[in-house]
Amino acid sequence: MSIGISIERAKSMLAAGEVSLIVGYAIGSTNDRRRPMLATNVDDAAKLVVDAACVDNLAMYTTRVGEAKRVGIFLRSSGVRAMNVLAAESQIDPTRFVIFAFDVDASGNVSAMEGSSLEEFRDRLTRDVVDAETSATIAKFQAMTSAERFAFWRQQFSKCIKCYACRQACPMCSCRRCIVEANQPQWICPSATTLGNTEWNIVRAFHLAGRCVECGNCSRACPVGIPLHLLNTMLAEVVEDEFETIVGRSSDQPAVMASFKNDDPQTFIK
Amino acid sequence: MTASEVQNSHGFEPRIVAFVCNYCTYAGADLAGTSRLKYAPNVRIVRLPCTGRVSPLFILKALQQSADGVLVSGCHPGDCHFTSGNLHARRRWTVFRRVLDFVGIPEERIWFSWVSAAEGGKFADLINDMTDSIRKLGPFSAYDAMLSEAGLVRSTVQELIV
Repeated sequence: MSIGISIERAKSMLAAGEVSLIVGYAIGSTNDRRRPMLATNVDDAAKLVVDAACVDNLAMYTTRVGEAKRVGIFLRSSGVRAMNVLAAESQIDPTRFVIFAFDVDASGNVSAMEGSSLEEFRDRLTRDVVDAETSATIAKFQAMTSAERFAFWRQQFSKCIKCYACRQACPMCSCRRCIVEANQPQWICPSATTLGNTEWNIVRAFHLAGRCVECGNCSRACPVGIPLHLLNTMLAEVVEDEFETIVGRSSDQPAVMASFKNDDPQTFIK
Repeated sequence: MTASEVQNSHGFEPRIVAFVCNYCTYAGADLAGTSRLKYAPNVRIVRLPCTGRVSPLFILKALQQSADGVLVSGCHPGDCHFTSGNLHARRRWTVFRRVLDFVGIPEERIWFSWVSAAEGGKFADLINDMTDSIRKLGPFSAYDAMLSEAGLVRSTVQELIV
C-alpha cells in the first residue's frame, strides 16, 4: 500500500475529529532532514512527510501525549515493537492509538504496512536487520581483550556530558524518576566525570535489556556520538540467544527481565 | 598506598565481596564456620534477604570501590525461600555479566554460585578457589584512573593484609 494513502487517511481522521493528535514527521532544519511533528489541526497536518529520511522512532511520544483521547502515530516496525513493550508494561493504553506503520526497503522505497492497531501486528514483527558496520564492530569487540574494551568505552564515555538526551529520546525510558536522579542513596555520580558517565551508561544499558527494540534513537540523539547502539544490539542478541525472546512481538509478552524459565541457562553458575 | 605498593611490600591479597542470601549461602558460610573449616580470609560477606535483592549496581559499585572480585551466591534453583527470587536473579546475571564483559570488566572477576545451607564445605572450597583465581589475576585497577579523575581514590585501607 502506498504511504500517500496512509498520510491522507491520517489527515482525514484529524479533520473528522476521529483523532485529536497526529504524531508524525515534518521537514527538519535542513531540507533532507526530518523532525518529529505533533499535529493537532489540519494546517499542521498538511506539513506531514513520510519518507526514507524519517528515522526517529516516534513511539517515545506515546507515553507523553497528555490528554489526547485518540492519537494517530507514524511508526516504523521498531516503533510498533516499542509500543508493544510499553503496553506490556502497562505504560500506555494501546486502544488510544491509531498506528500508521511504514516500512522502508533497502533502496529507500517507503510503503505503508497493513494494520492500524497493535493487535493487528501481533507476532508479525521481528528485529530489524543489524547493519553491517554494527555487526562488524561487535565481532571486532569479541576479539579484543577486556582491557582494550575497557579503554574503548572509557574513551567513549569520557565524552559524555550527561545531557541525558539518550534517555529523553528513548521510548523505553518512561520512568517518572530515573535512577540517576535518585539521591537517597545516590547510586550514580551526577557529575559528568568518566566514572559517573560509565556508571550511568552501564546502568542504562542494563535497564534496557529485554526491552530495547534497537530503534537507534539514543545513538542519534547523543550530541557527542557515543555508539550506544552497540550495547543495545549486543543485549538484544544476548536476549535472543539465551532466552529465545524477540522483544516487542505482542502486547502481552512477558517482560524478559521480570520472568524466568526453570531451565534458563546457568552454565556460568558454579 | 597504591595497589602496586601493597603488592611490593606484602604480596597481593585480593579483596572479595560476597553478596549472599540469608537463607542458603549465608547459612552455608555459617556451617563452614561452625564446622571449623578453614577458608581464605579475603572474603567480605554482605548478607541480603535473597539473591533477587542483588542489584547489578551492588556488583558495579563493589568493583569500582575496592573489590578485586565479586561473588554472588544464593539458594539452588527450587530452594529459594521466596520461591523464585534466585530464578529472577539468574536471568539478571546472565545479562549483566555480558554487559560487564562488553564494556571490558573481566568476567573472571565476577563469580556466581549456588550454595545451600548444608554445603559448608562447598562454600569453603569456593572461597579458596576464587581467592586463588583472583590472586592470579592481580588487583583490579581498571577504575583507578577514572576514580582519580573524579577526585576519589580506591579504598586504601589494606585491612586484609594478614
